Amino acid sequence: MYTADGLPGYRRQPTLVVIPGTRDEVIDVVRLLAKHNVPFVPRGAGTGLSGGALADGVVLLALHRLRRILSIDPANRVAVVEPGVVNTSLSREAAPHGLHYAPDPSSQTACTIGGNVAENAGGPHCLKYGVTMNHVLALTVVLPNGSVVSLGSADGERPGYDLVGVFVGSEGCFGVALDVTVRLTRNPEAVRTLLADFTSIDAAAQAVSAIVAAGIVPAALEMMDRGTIRAVEASIYAAGYPVDAAAVLLIEVDGLATGLEHDVELVDRICSEQGARSVRTARDDAERMRLWQGRKKAFGAMGRIAPHLVVQDAVVPRTRLPAVMAEIGRIAERHRVNVCNVFHAGDGNLHPNIAYDAGDADEATRVGAAMRAIMQLCIDSGGSVTGEHGIGLDKLEYMPLIFPGDTLAAMCRLREVFDPDRRANPGKVVPLRACREWAGVRAVRGDA
Amino acid sequence: MRDRDGTELELQTRDMMDREGVPDGTTVTMKARSERDVREIIREAHDGAAPLRIVGSGTWLRGGHPVDAGRRLDVSGLTGIVEYVPGDLTLTARAGTSLAELGDATAAHHQWLPLDPFGDPRGSLGATLATASCGPLGSSIGQPRDLTVGLTFVTGEGQAVQGGGRVVKNVAGFDLVRLGIGAWGTLGVLTEATVRLRARPEADETLALALPAEPDRLADFLTSLRQAAIDPLCAELLNGALATRLSLGDGEVLLVRLAGNPVAVHHQRDVLARLGDLNEAPGTTWTKLRESDPRDGLVVRMSRKPSELPRLWAAARTITSVEAHATVTRGIVRLRIPDGLTIADADPLAAFDEDDARIIEQGRAGDGVMPSPAGVGELAERLRLAFDPLRILNRGILGESLHDRG
Repeated sequence: MYTADGLPGYRRQPTLVVIPGTRDEVIDVVRLLAKHNVPFVPRGAGTGLSGGALADGVVLLALHRLRRILSIDPANRVAVVEPGVVNTSLSREAAPHGLHYAPDPSSQTACTIGGNVAENAGGPHCLKYGVTMNHVLALTVVLPNGSVVSLGSADGERPGYDLVGVFVGSEGCFGVALDVTVRLTRNPEAVRTLLADFTSIDAAAQAVSAIVAAGIVPAALEMMDRGTIRAVEASIYAAGYPVDAAAVLLIEVDGLATGLEHDVELVDRICSEQGARSVRTARDDAERMRLWQGRKKAFGAMGRIAPHLVVQDAVVPRTRLPAVMAEIGRIAERHRVNVCNVFHAGDGNLHPNIAYDAGDADEATRVGAAMRAIMQLCIDSGGSVTGEHGIGLDKLEYMPLIFPGDTLAAMCRLREVFDPDRRANPGKVVPLRACREWAGVRAVRGDA
Repeated sequence: MRDRDGTELELQTRDMMDREGVPDGTTVTMKARSERDVREIIREAHDGAAPLRIVGSGTWLRGGHPVDAGRRLDVSGLTGIVEYVPGDLTLTARAGTSLAELGDATAAHHQWLPLDPFGDPRGSLGATLATASCGPLGSSIGQPRDLTVGLTFVTGEGQAVQGGGRVVKNVAGFDLVRLGIGAWGTLGVLTEATVRLRARPEADETLALALPAEPDRLADFLTSLRQAAIDPLCAELLNGALATRLSLGDGEVLLVRLAGNPVAVHHQRDVLARLGDLNEAPGTTWTKLRESDPRDGLVVRMSRKPSELPRLWAAARTITSVEAHATVTRGIVRLRIPDGLTIADADPLAAFDEDDARIIEQGRAGDGVMPSPAGVGELAERLRLAFDPLRILNRGILGESLHDRG
């Protein structure tokens, strides 16, 4: 199980897997690795989708045994957790206080807070509540050289560099979090979930923009296309989505109970104005859960179509959604692959997914080509190659396409502040070539 | 302004940083009109190891730390909106663009940028982000680190780097955006930023709620407030002196901003009315609060976790002749201490704990306290050297010693 993460098609063999059970053991292991100059890869639950937790001939440091919730402070709405705490278990423990941990990646029943921090994980409800970075207040980190530092503070501001912001999303390259202080969010008083059914993706995308323009910040605003709808409806997760729709929007609004109906009515009206055939509001929690289950398990449902599934991740400006979705359709046709789209439409975060058989060399080649074309499309549309899954190993090749050389060099420099030897998660996030180029530039300037 | 080893280093006053005023004849000002200018000026400064004081529209609050620089890099000419697609709720502007200009541009599309730092409305986007400044909106949607999705800055070696991008969600590469926010220009001179906007709410009301007269009831009041079914954009406690200045009567009040759909806003108003005497206040009160920051004296921000707020507020009450306000959900008390009361003389802050973080937003040389959390001093130092190896950018502004390096 330690040779892969959630990204299919990649397998790497670690030389050794170390699974410490306590914070002190983690520190001891990191110091031992430092002493012998051994590279290592930190790993949470291994649910990542960018190959970030693959250890290629180096030591894999698995942190899933550090799963204690160290404290919950309801008065200040913060919790301190070990890195191996599973995302949903924190919300479960916070529930008696009327609180929850807001970032909710689809893998939340398995993925860990430490992994979420490494990837700056998102999720459907990040549209309103923000991504992991917005919820981490402080961290204790063991740096790759074995020294332990505390970053940020949950008890008063600490002026100076935003080292928490820099560490979150560093994909295991800056050190290992020993504990994470996160913000907890008050549970909304009321939640309403709507399903709007469209006969064209374009109309659904227009509705997304119109809802946001109206001043409503939905808790979530998700789109699923026909391929996804049919996959879900053919699975045990069937949610009652209309199988003849071109796209559906799953829209959730939450907040104070009084006044929420006003938002529901407005969303309903906007969707109808944009051509929705029907807009249905879940009558009760059971129906709401069913609508969401289809969305959250959509990847699993697609997995039934073929043995392997690429869950892609990219971002485009929201206003480009209609054009980009149409072009993705053409790319799929051109490469004869089956792209299913299920994504966070509210913030333009696409997940074009392709179910395929990795054992079929021809199909695997076509899938690779289609994915590259989709990434290029998103770049050309002013977007990014990842909104929440990270660069890892899988997207290294795209980094020079979105960032100029000086920027990549600056990223290398930032990494070297935390890890001068680049032993933590080597070979990930920034292409090594960029760092070498930078080192050369500095030498020249230093000589001058 | 004195020399490097002087014992009487004075702060550059706010007036000295003003766009037009150059009262100190020895200071050379280099005005950049483009990112390219910034790169060239910094490269030249780097090659000559000549420190630069970065100046935007000249309204930065004085942080109590002297900047050791014989030259000023004036970026107030880097203005203008580069891209604004209202449908995307994002806007890209050059760093010298004033918040007032961004306010006008976005208002035309019924949108707004919820950055509300204290001080002058001529303050620039770049300075707001570089200092990570926020005002009352910081308790809900107004923190620079949360609102910035892209940032371009020029390092101390004259290289332009681009963090993030123009989309609202992006985890490609290491986070150079958060690196530049709150670094006070010491890792690079900000030249351009992309920020998230919000659609204007349908209803937006400002209300003043009288606080209980008995001081020891404040903790209970704040507990009730926290548990109440309200979701305010801002909630600031104001002491009597500040309430008076803002024409809200002479007693302590909680100034609240409610926004959203009208039904929800009216309901929250009813909830608040159950907590005390509630009065409507003009929406411009927030602007008055920000802009009435004094131009001299001390402005100090004390902060702890929110549950410590009753104690902080009680301590603030013991200092006479200050205007005080507190951001309830963030555990921040902000004091405007008139000139004449200084930390060095009779310590007006003696009522606070040593652990209460003190951030001097405005003060005299030597007043500034910018402590580094344990263990990150070295990390911060390495960061500085990685991005500005000769420490030519705003040297001294973070309270670092002026003498330990060339």
